[in-house]
Amino acid sequence: MLLMFVLSSLFLIALAVGQEPISEPLKSALLWVVIMFSAAIGLGRSFIAEQERGTVLLLQLNVRGSQVLAGKLIFNFILLTAVDLVGLGMFSFLLDLQIEHLSLMLVVLTLGSIGLAGATTLLSAIIARASNKGPLLPVLLFPMLIPLLLSVVRAASEALEGGMGWSGVQTELATITAFGGVVLTASFLLFEYVWTE
Amino acid sequence: MVNVKRYTVVRNLVFGWLTVILLAGFLLNFPKINILEHTARNLYFHVPMWFTMMAAAFVSGYHSWKVLQTGDPLRDIRALQAARVGTFFGILGITTGIIWSRFTWYVGTDVWWNFDPRQIMVSIQLLIYGGYFVLRSALDEPGKRAKISAVFNLFAMTALPFLLYVIPRQMESLHPGAEGNPAFSQITHPVMRLVFYPAIIGFVGLFWVLYTQRVRVAWLKYRVTQDSEM
Repeated sequence: MLLMFVLSSLFLIALAVGQEPISEPLKSALLWVVIMFSAAIGLGRSFIAEQERGTVLLLQLNVRGSQVLAGKLIFNFILLTAVDLVGLGMFSFLLDLQIEHLSLMLVVLTLGSIGLAGATTLLSAIIARASNKGPLLPVLLFPMLIPLLLSVVRAASEALEGGMGWSGVQTELATITAFGGVVLTASFLLFEYVWTE
Repeated sequence: MVNVKRYTVVRNLVFGWLTVILLAGFLLNFPKINILEHTARNLYFHVPMWFTMMAAAFVSGYHSWKVLQTGDPLRDIRALQAARVGTFFGILGITTGIIWSRFTWYVGTDVWWNFDPRQIMVSIQLLIYGGYFVLRSALDEPGKRAKISAVFNLFAMTALPFLLYVIPRQMESLHPGAEGNPAFSQITHPVMRLVFYPAIIGFVGLFWVLYTQRVRVAWLKYRVTQDSEM
Protein backbone atom coordinates (compact mmCIF):
# COMPACT_ATOMS: atom_id res chain seq x y z
CA MET A 1 0.00 0.00 0.00
CA LEU A 2 2.81 2.37 0.92
CA LEU A 3 4.67 1.64 -2.28
CA MET A 4 1.51 2.38 -4.25
CA PHE A 5 1.34 5.71 -2.43
CA VAL A 6 4.91 6.47 -3.53
CA LEU A 7 4.11 5.45 -7.11
CA SER A 8 0.94 7.47 -7.41
CA SER A 9 2.38 10.59 -5.77
CA LEU A 10 5.44 10.43 -8.01
CA PHE A 11 3.21 10.05 -11.04
CA LEU A 12 1.25 13.08 -9.86
CA ILE A 13 4.46 15.08 -9.60
CA ALA A 14 5.67 13.92 -13.00
CA LEU A 15 2.41 15.02 -14.63
CA ALA A 16 2.30 18.29 -12.69
CA VAL A 17 5.82 19.12 -13.78
CA GLY A 18 5.11 18.01 -17.34
CA GLN A 19 7.96 18.25 -19.78
CA GLU A 20 9.41 21.40 -18.31
CA PRO A 21 13.05 20.84 -17.38
CA ILE A 22 13.46 21.32 -13.63
CA SER A 23 16.68 22.00 -11.80
CA GLU A 24 18.58 19.43 -9.72
CA PRO A 25 17.91 21.06 -6.31
CA LEU A 26 14.20 21.06 -7.11
CA LYS A 27 14.27 17.38 -8.13
CA SER A 28 16.03 16.52 -4.89
CA ALA A 29 13.50 18.57 -2.91
CA LEU A 30 10.55 16.83 -4.61
CA LEU A 31 12.06 13.39 -3.99
CA TRP A 32 12.51 14.10 -0.28
CA VAL A 33 9.08 15.62 0.11
CA VAL A 34 7.59 12.41 -1.31
CA ILE A 35 9.72 10.28 1.05
CA MET A 36 8.78 12.32 4.11
CA PHE A 37 5.08 12.30 3.28
CA SER A 38 5.29 8.53 2.79
CA ALA A 39 6.87 8.21 6.22
CA ALA A 40 4.17 10.37 7.81
CA ILE A 41 1.40 8.37 6.16
CA GLY A 42 2.83 4.86 6.15
CA LEU A 43 4.69 4.59 9.45
CA GLY A 44 2.11 6.35 11.63
CA ARG A 45 0.17 3.16 12.17
CA SER A 46 3.02 1.13 13.74
CA PHE A 47 1.60 1.27 17.25
CA ILE A 48 -2.05 1.97 16.44
CA ALA A 49 -2.22 -1.40 14.69
CA GLU A 50 -0.99 -3.13 17.87
CA GLN A 51 -3.77 -1.47 19.83
CA GLU A 52 -6.47 -2.37 17.35
CA ARG A 53 -5.46 -6.02 17.32
CA GLY A 54 -5.16 -6.00 21.12
CA THR A 55 -1.57 -7.20 21.18
CA VAL A 56 -0.23 -4.30 23.28
CA LEU A 57 -0.77 -6.06 26.59
CA LEU A 58 0.94 -9.21 25.37
CA LEU A 59 3.99 -7.23 24.33
CA GLN A 60 4.02 -5.22 27.55
CA LEU A 61 3.98 -8.39 29.63
CA ASN A 62 6.51 -10.44 27.69
CA VAL A 63 8.99 -8.10 26.08
CA ARG A 64 10.99 -5.16 27.36
CA GLY A 65 10.03 -1.74 25.99
CA SER A 66 13.39 -1.14 24.37
CA GLN A 67 13.04 -4.41 22.45
CA VAL A 68 9.64 -3.41 21.13
CA LEU A 69 11.04 -0.07 20.02
CA ALA A 70 14.06 -1.70 18.39
CA GLY A 71 11.80 -4.07 16.46
CA LYS A 72 9.55 -1.27 15.26
CA LEU A 73 12.56 0.85 14.32
CA ILE A 74 14.15 -1.88 12.24
CA PHE A 75 10.88 -2.67 10.48
CA ASN A 76 10.23 1.02 9.74
CA PHE A 77 13.78 1.48 8.49
CA ILE A 78 13.46 -1.45 6.08
CA LEU A 79 10.12 -0.09 4.87
CA LEU A 80 11.65 3.34 4.31
CA THR A 81 14.57 1.84 2.41
CA ALA A 82 12.07 0.18 0.08
CA VAL A 83 10.31 3.55 -0.32
CA ASP A 84 13.68 5.18 -1.08
CA LEU A 85 14.60 2.66 -3.73
CA VAL A 86 11.21 2.63 -5.45
CA GLY A 87 11.06 6.41 -5.22
CA LEU A 88 14.52 6.89 -6.67
CA GLY A 89 13.93 4.33 -9.42
CA MET A 90 10.59 5.75 -10.48
CA PHE A 91 11.91 9.30 -10.20
CA SER A 92 14.76 8.61 -12.58
CA PHE A 93 12.37 6.75 -14.90
CA LEU A 94 9.73 9.50 -15.01
CA LEU A 95 11.80 12.65 -14.68
CA ASP A 96 14.97 11.60 -16.46
CA LEU A 97 17.23 11.79 -13.46
CA GLN A 98 20.99 11.75 -14.05
CA ILE A 99 22.68 10.61 -10.85
CA GLU A 100 26.32 11.65 -10.95
CA HIS A 101 27.32 10.09 -7.62
CA LEU A 102 25.18 7.00 -7.10
CA SER A 103 27.08 5.85 -3.99
CA LEU A 104 26.70 9.27 -2.34
CA MET A 105 23.01 9.25 -3.19
CA LEU A 106 22.51 5.81 -1.60
CA VAL A 107 24.42 6.83 1.53
CA VAL A 108 22.36 10.01 1.88
CA LEU A 109 19.12 8.05 1.42
CA THR A 110 20.16 5.43 4.00
CA LEU A 111 21.40 7.87 6.65
CA GLY A 112 18.39 10.12 6.08
CA SER A 113 16.07 7.16 6.50
CA ILE A 114 17.62 6.29 9.86
CA GLY A 115 16.80 9.73 11.24
CA LEU A 116 13.39 9.71 9.60
CA ALA A 117 12.53 6.26 10.99
CA GLY A 118 13.75 7.30 14.46
CA ALA A 119 11.62 10.45 14.60
CA THR A 120 8.53 8.79 13.12
CA THR A 121 8.60 5.69 15.33
CA LEU A 122 8.60 7.48 18.68
CA LEU A 123 5.98 9.97 17.51
CA SER A 124 3.75 7.15 16.25
CA ALA A 125 3.99 5.61 19.73
CA ILE A 126 2.90 9.00 21.12
CA ILE A 127 -0.10 9.39 18.83
CA ALA A 128 -1.20 5.81 19.52
CA ARG A 129 -2.02 7.05 23.04
CA ALA A 130 -4.05 10.03 21.80
CA SER A 131 -7.79 9.77 21.32
CA ASN A 132 -8.30 12.04 18.32
CA LYS A 133 -5.60 10.93 15.91
CA GLY A 134 -6.52 12.44 12.55
CA PRO A 135 -3.61 14.29 10.96
CA LEU A 136 -1.76 14.48 14.30
CA LEU A 137 1.43 12.71 13.18
CA PRO A 138 2.39 15.14 10.36
CA VAL A 139 1.66 18.09 12.67
CA LEU A 140 4.11 16.74 15.24
CA LEU A 141 6.61 15.29 12.77
CA PHE A 142 7.24 17.96 10.13
CA PRO A 143 8.60 20.77 12.34
CA MET A 144 11.10 18.31 13.82
CA LEU A 145 12.24 17.13 10.42
CA ILE A 146 13.20 20.55 9.05
CA PRO A 147 16.90 20.34 10.05
CA LEU A 148 17.09 16.87 8.50
CA LEU A 149 15.21 17.98 5.38
CA LEU A 150 17.55 20.92 4.76
CA SER A 151 20.66 18.74 4.92
CA VAL A 152 19.38 15.78 2.93
CA VAL A 153 17.97 17.94 0.15
CA ARG A 154 21.29 19.72 -0.24
CA ALA A 155 23.32 16.51 -0.06
CA ALA A 156 21.04 14.74 -2.55
CA SER A 157 21.15 17.60 -5.01
CA GLU A 158 24.95 17.53 -4.75
CA ALA A 159 24.80 13.83 -5.61
CA LEU A 160 22.64 14.60 -8.64
CA GLU A 161 24.70 17.49 -9.93
CA GLY A 162 28.12 15.98 -9.41
CA GLY A 163 29.97 19.12 -8.43
CA MET A 164 32.34 18.51 -5.55
CA GLY A 165 30.97 15.07 -4.69
CA TRP A 166 31.77 13.71 -1.25
CA SER A 167 33.96 16.57 -0.12
CA GLY A 168 31.26 19.14 -0.88
CA VAL A 169 28.71 17.76 1.56
CA GLN A 170 30.79 16.85 4.61
CA THR A 171 28.85 19.14 6.95
CA GLU A 172 25.55 17.84 5.63
CA LEU A 173 26.58 14.20 6.07
CA ALA A 174 27.79 14.94 9.59
CA THR A 175 24.50 16.66 10.41
CA ILE A 176 22.39 13.83 8.99
CA THR A 177 24.37 11.23 10.95
CA ALA A 178 24.24 13.26 14.15
CA PHE A 179 20.51 13.85 13.73
CA GLY A 180 19.94 10.11 13.41
CA GLY A 181 22.10 9.40 16.46
CA VAL A 182 20.46 12.01 18.68
CA VAL A 183 16.93 11.06 17.64
CA LEU A 184 17.58 7.34 18.23
CA THR A 185 19.14 8.01 21.65
CA ALA A 186 16.26 10.26 22.69
CA SER A 187 13.78 7.62 21.46
CA PHE A 188 15.28 4.88 23.62
CA LEU A 189 15.45 7.19 26.65
CA LEU A 190 11.87 8.42 26.33
CA PHE A 191 10.07 5.37 24.94
CA GLU A 192 9.58 3.72 28.33
CA TYR A 193 7.39 6.65 29.48
CA VAL A 194 5.12 6.33 26.47
CA TRP A 195 4.92 2.55 26.44
CA THR A 196 4.17 1.75 30.08
CA GLU A 197 0.83 2.86 31.47
CA MET B 1 2.92 27.80 47.67
CA VAL B 2 3.18 31.50 46.93
CA ASN B 3 4.74 34.40 48.76
CA VAL B 4 2.28 37.21 47.95
CA LYS B 5 4.52 39.96 49.21
CA ARG B 6 7.52 38.86 47.21
CA TYR B 7 5.41 38.50 44.09
CA THR B 8 3.95 42.02 44.47
CA VAL B 9 7.39 43.52 45.01
CA VAL B 10 8.90 41.78 41.97
CA ARG B 11 5.91 42.62 39.79
CA ASN B 12 6.04 46.32 40.64
CA LEU B 13 9.80 46.31 40.15
CA VAL B 14 9.42 44.75 36.68
CA PHE B 15 6.72 47.22 35.66
CA GLY B 16 8.76 50.19 36.85
CA TRP B 17 11.89 48.84 35.17
CA LEU B 18 10.10 48.35 31.84
CA THR B 19 8.59 51.85 32.02
CA VAL B 20 12.08 53.31 32.34
CA ILE B 21 13.29 51.11 29.45
CA LEU B 22 10.43 52.28 27.22
CA LEU B 23 11.15 55.93 27.96
CA ALA B 24 14.91 55.52 27.53
CA GLY B 25 14.43 53.46 24.37
CA PHE B 26 12.52 56.23 22.63
CA LEU B 27 14.16 59.29 24.15
CA LEU B 28 17.88 58.51 24.46
CA ASN B 29 19.78 59.72 21.45
CA PHE B 30 22.61 57.78 19.82
CA PRO B 31 24.91 58.37 16.84
CA LYS B 32 23.51 57.52 13.43
CA ILE B 33 24.11 53.93 12.27
CA ASN B 34 24.47 53.05 8.63
CA ILE B 35 21.30 51.64 6.97
CA LEU B 36 19.57 51.08 10.32
CA GLU B 37 19.38 54.69 11.47
CA HIS B 38 16.60 55.10 13.99
CA THR B 39 15.04 51.70 13.38
CA ALA B 40 17.94 50.46 15.49
CA ARG B 41 15.73 51.30 18.46
CA ASN B 42 13.86 48.12 17.68
CA LEU B 43 16.91 46.33 19.09
CA TYR B 44 15.59 47.07 22.58
CA PHE B 45 12.36 45.23 21.90
CA HIS B 46 13.02 42.67 19.18
CA VAL B 47 16.11 40.96 20.61
CA PRO B 48 14.87 40.59 24.22
CA MET B 49 11.80 38.75 22.86
CA TRP B 50 14.12 36.12 21.44
CA PHE B 51 16.04 35.82 24.72
CA THR B 52 12.78 35.56 26.64
CA MET B 53 11.47 32.85 24.35
CA MET B 54 14.68 30.84 24.85
CA ALA B 55 14.33 31.23 28.62
CA ALA B 56 10.71 30.08 28.40
CA ALA B 57 11.70 27.06 26.32
CA PHE B 58 14.28 26.07 28.93
CA VAL B 59 11.77 26.47 31.76
CA SER B 60 9.21 24.42 29.85
CA GLY B 61 11.71 21.70 28.98
CA TYR B 62 13.01 21.52 32.56
CA HIS B 63 9.53 21.05 33.97
CA SER B 64 8.66 18.49 31.29
CA TRP B 65 11.67 16.49 32.42
CA LYS B 66 10.50 16.79 36.03
CA VAL B 67 7.01 15.58 35.02
CA LEU B 68 8.58 12.35 33.77
CA GLN B 69 10.54 11.93 36.98
CA THR B 70 7.86 12.78 39.54
CA GLY B 71 4.48 12.77 37.76
CA ASP B 72 3.59 15.89 39.75
CA PRO B 73 0.61 17.74 38.16
CA LEU B 74 2.09 21.09 39.19
CA ARG B 75 5.11 20.38 37.00
CA ASP B 76 2.76 19.74 34.09
CA ILE B 77 1.03 23.06 34.69
CA ARG B 78 4.39 24.84 34.79
CA ALA B 79 5.57 23.23 31.54
CA LEU B 80 2.32 24.15 29.77
CA GLN B 81 2.19 27.75 30.98
CA ALA B 82 5.87 28.38 30.21
CA ALA B 83 5.23 27.08 26.67
CA ARG B 84 2.17 29.35 26.32
CA VAL B 85 3.93 32.51 27.49
CA GLY B 86 6.99 31.53 25.43
CA THR B 87 4.80 31.23 22.33
CA PHE B 88 3.44 34.71 23.01
CA PHE B 89 6.96 36.17 23.17
CA GLY B 90 8.01 34.18 20.10
CA ILE B 91 5.12 35.64 18.07
CA LEU B 92 6.06 39.13 19.25
CA GLY B 93 9.72 38.50 18.38
CA ILE B 94 9.04 37.23 14.86
CA THR B 95 6.53 40.04 14.19
CA THR B 96 8.90 42.80 15.28
CA GLY B 97 11.63 41.15 13.21
CA ILE B 98 9.53 40.88 10.05
CA ILE B 99 8.35 44.50 10.31
CA TRP B 100 11.90 45.65 10.97
CA SER B 101 13.36 43.88 7.94
CA ARG B 102 10.44 44.88 5.70
CA PHE B 103 10.92 48.60 6.26
CA THR B 104 14.70 48.64 6.53
CA TRP B 105 16.11 46.24 3.95
CA TYR B 106 13.19 45.58 1.63
CA VAL B 107 11.84 49.06 1.02
CA GLY B 108 10.20 49.22 -2.39
CA THR B 109 9.78 45.45 -2.68
CA ASP B 110 6.93 43.19 -1.67
CA VAL B 111 9.14 40.96 0.45
CA TRP B 112 7.72 40.20 3.88
CA TRP B 113 9.15 36.78 4.56
CA ASN B 114 12.88 36.33 4.18
CA PHE B 115 14.76 33.12 4.77
CA ASP B 116 16.77 34.38 7.65
CA PRO B 117 18.19 31.54 9.80
CA ARG B 118 16.88 32.94 13.06
CA GLN B 119 13.48 33.66 11.61
CA ILE B 120 13.27 30.01 10.54
CA MET B 121 14.38 28.78 13.95
CA VAL B 122 11.70 30.79 15.72
CA SER B 123 9.07 29.58 13.26
CA ILE B 124 10.07 25.97 13.89
CA GLN B 125 9.93 26.48 17.63
CA LEU B 126 6.46 28.01 17.25
CA LEU B 127 5.33 25.09 15.07
CA ILE B 128 6.63 22.65 17.69
CA TYR B 129 4.66 24.42 20.41
CA GLY B 130 1.64 24.43 18.12
CA GLY B 131 2.03 20.66 17.85
CA TYR B 132 2.45 20.46 21.65
CA PHE B 133 -0.87 22.25 22.23
CA VAL B 134 -2.66 20.18 19.58
CA LEU B 135 -1.29 16.98 21.13
CA ARG B 136 -2.48 18.05 24.58
CA SER B 137 -5.98 18.65 23.28
CA ALA B 138 -5.99 15.15 21.77
CA LEU B 139 -5.15 13.45 25.09
CA ASP B 140 -8.10 13.22 27.43
CA GLU B 141 -6.87 11.69 30.68
CA PRO B 142 -4.82 14.28 32.71
CA GLY B 143 -2.11 11.92 33.99
CA LYS B 144 -1.52 10.45 30.55
CA ARG B 145 -1.61 13.91 28.98
CA ALA B 146 1.07 15.20 31.35
CA LYS B 147 3.42 12.32 30.60
CA ILE B 148 2.93 12.00 26.84
CA SER B 149 3.10 15.72 26.13
CA ALA B 150 6.26 15.99 28.26
CA VAL B 151 7.84 13.27 26.13
CA PHE B 152 6.94 15.17 22.97
CA ASN B 153 8.24 18.47 24.34
CA LEU B 154 11.63 16.94 25.16
CA PHE B 155 11.83 14.87 21.96
CA ALA B 156 11.07 17.83 19.70
CA MET B 157 13.63 20.02 21.45
CA THR B 158 16.45 17.64 20.46
CA ALA B 159 16.01 18.64 16.81
CA LEU B 160 16.58 22.36 17.34
CA PRO B 161 20.35 22.54 17.97
CA PHE B 162 21.00 21.15 14.48
CA LEU B 163 19.56 24.26 12.94
CA LEU B 164 22.46 26.23 14.39
CA TYR B 165 24.82 24.24 12.19
CA VAL B 166 22.79 23.60 9.07
CA ILE B 167 20.96 26.76 8.16
CA PRO B 168 23.74 29.36 8.46
CA ARG B 169 25.67 27.49 5.74
CA GLN B 170 22.80 27.71 3.30
CA MET B 171 21.21 31.07 3.91
CA GLU B 172 22.30 34.61 4.40
CA SER B 173 21.41 36.43 7.54
CA LEU B 174 20.51 40.01 8.32
CA HIS B 175 21.69 39.52 11.88
CA PRO B 176 25.02 40.80 13.19
CA GLY B 177 27.78 38.26 13.67
CA ALA B 178 26.77 36.20 10.63
CA GLU B 179 29.17 35.75 7.75
CA GLY B 180 30.04 39.08 6.16
CA ASN B 181 28.03 41.07 8.68
CA PRO B 182 29.66 43.30 11.26
CA ALA B 183 29.74 42.00 14.81
CA PHE B 184 27.19 43.17 17.32
CA SER B 185 29.70 45.31 19.22
CA GLN B 186 30.81 47.12 16.06
CA ILE B 187 27.42 48.51 15.10
CA THR B 188 26.01 49.32 18.49
CA HIS B 189 26.99 52.41 20.39
CA PRO B 190 27.69 52.12 24.14
CA VAL B 191 24.59 54.23 24.76
CA MET B 192 22.46 51.59 23.08
CA ARG B 193 23.93 48.81 25.15
CA LEU B 194 23.05 50.83 28.23
CA VAL B 195 19.40 50.31 27.33
CA PHE B 196 19.68 46.95 25.59
CA TYR B 197 21.03 44.79 28.42
CA PRO B 198 18.56 46.10 31.01
CA ALA B 199 15.79 45.54 28.42
CA ILE B 200 16.65 41.83 28.32
CA ILE B 201 16.40 41.64 32.11
CA GLY B 202 13.14 43.59 31.99
CA PHE B 203 11.44 41.33 29.46
CA VAL B 204 12.63 38.13 31.13
CA GLY B 205 11.17 39.62 34.31
CA LEU B 206 7.91 40.25 32.47
CA PHE B 207 7.93 36.59 31.44
CA TRP B 208 8.37 35.59 35.07
CA VAL B 209 5.43 37.76 36.17
CA LEU B 210 3.09 36.47 33.46
CA TYR B 211 4.23 32.87 33.91
CA THR B 212 3.88 32.68 37.69
CA GLN B 213 0.53 34.45 37.51
CA ARG B 214 -0.82 31.95 35.01
CA VAL B 215 0.62 29.00 36.97
CA ARG B 216 -1.22 30.11 40.11
CA VAL B 217 -4.55 30.52 38.31
CA ALA B 218 -4.10 27.13 36.61
CA TRP B 219 -3.20 25.51 39.92
CA LEU B 220 -6.33 26.91 41.60
CA LYS B 221 -8.40 25.63 38.71
CA TYR B 222 -6.70 22.25 38.95
CA ARG B 223 -7.65 21.95 42.62
CA VAL B 224 -11.28 22.57 41.72
CA THR B 225 -11.62 20.53 38.54
CA GLN B 226 -8.60 18.14 38.63
CA ASP B 227 -7.81 19.34 35.11
CA SER B 228 -4.48 21.00 34.35
CA GLU B 229 -5.65 22.54 31.08
CA MET B 230 -6.47 26.23 31.25
